[in-house]
Amino acid sequence: MTKKFWIGLAIIFAIALIGVSYQKFLKNPRCAYEGSAITPIYEVDIVLMDKSVKKFCSIFCASQWFRNNVKLVNHVIVTDEIRGNKIDSYMAYFVESELITNETNDNRIHVFQQRQDAITHAEKFHGTMTDDPFSLDE
Amino acid sequence: MIVNIYTLIMLFVAIFSLSLGGLLFLLTIKTLISFQTTVPLEDKSKFERKGYLVFLLACVTLSVRMVVWPWFYFMLQSFVSEVPGAMCMFGVTQILPSTITFLQVIKPIAFFIMGGWLLCYYVDKSTPTAPLARKNLLFLLIVCGVLLTDGIADVYYVIRMKPLMSVSCCATFFDVPLRPSAMIPQAIFGRNFQKILFILYYLTNIILIVLLFTSISRKWTLLTPKYRMIILYSQGILGIINIPVVIYTVIENIAPKLMQLPYHHCIYCLMGNGMVPDAPIMLGLFVIGTFAIGWMAILRLLCNNGEARLITERLLVKVNNLSAFCLLASLLMVTIHLILI
Repeated sequence: MTKKFWIGLAIIFAIALIGVSYQKFLKNPRCAYEGSAITPIYEVDIVLMDKSVKKFCSIFCASQWFRNNVKLVNHVIVTDEIRGNKIDSYMAYFVESELITNETNDNRIHVFQQRQDAITHAEKFHGTMTDDPFSLDE
Repeated sequence: MIVNIYTLIMLFVAIFSLSLGGLLFLLTIKTLISFQTTVPLEDKSKFERKGYLVFLLACVTLSVRMVVWPWFYFMLQSFVSEVPGAMCMFGVTQILPSTITFLQVIKPIAFFIMGGWLLCYYVDKSTPTAPLARKNLLFLLIVCGVLLTDGIADVYYVIRMKPLMSVSCCATFFDVPLRPSAMIPQAIFGRNFQKILFILYYLTNIILIVLLFTSISRKWTLLTPKYRMIILYSQGILGIINIPVVIYTVIENIAPKLMQLPYHHCIYCLMGNGMVPDAPIMLGLFVIGTFAIGWMAILRLLCNNGEARLITERLLVKVNNLSAFCLLASLLMVTIHLILI
């Protein structure tokens, strides 16, 4: 093994670490409710009246914050678990199932853009369809 | 045609390499026709100058063409915002699908064959009497054929590409239960194919890396020619088997984990959407590592005789090192991501 070989491997190691760090700390912001890293697939964005955005790691955190600040909220954007698409919460299908998305807060509510995906998830993980927890009508 | 900096550079490079490639093709045929193994002393310098010009032209043209492969994907990525409905490069591939499939197949072939020729030329150039000149000229004819086909296809695609139709999202192809990347491994390995693929990915890569290191170790010279041949053939066969294994494992297991989208298997999203910024490096290292095994086979086949043997042996060690390094680096990067993400 030459010196070049080890230097090359060290560079590759550094690139991989930078890549992971970027994904974990730079690309993914922290939850505005509990401060944990946000997994993109479960991200919830609450858009406020002043157009600023609060990001949350799960439906649980977002709904907790939402309950206390409902008057400040303009609309809520959730993420489809299948495709990662961002959609308005009133267009999404919510399923409460046995599958936990975040072990810290025991969130069991899942979001889907397509009704069929929601039904499939509910059947697979013994869940039921639930109402939009961010409904602004009430 | 979509006009942006990527298409303009692509078009320029395609036209530039087509003109040089055409000239190169004619010059190669002309040189081959007038080729003599022994040249009278008075014609020697003229013959050398002409040969040098042909090979220099070939080196420039081929080097430019090899860079076009990654550039092609940069260009596709630049079309995403232009094509209605496209979320990633997959959407772009839905317009002129047969041309784009052809381009995606011919580009790696062209990269491989051009790399092989450049290595053969390096061996020939390093010997004082150029014993491989005729072989290299014949090989160059095949390379020119691929180069011209690739260049023509590039020009055709860039000119004909118009974002006039709405395309579907990659999820409709990559995330359906009957996707080819799931059905084919499932037919071979059964229902638990994802686990088996994942184990196979590590197994084939590790064995291949070990075999590559064996052929550059000090013990290599102590082995009998029969064992050496077995190891070399095993490298080649495993290198070929490793290609579909890596492709299917990346689509089925690695991409969803790295992108943190457990149900999303789109390789274009992994490569181009910036979700995993170093993903192109991971796959690029795998490609070079695998191609280097093929380049070693080309060197052994065409250059390992007579006067060139010693130089070929030295170059083989370098290419072997490159292959082992690239495959190990690719595996290391994937593993770091899987552990830390």
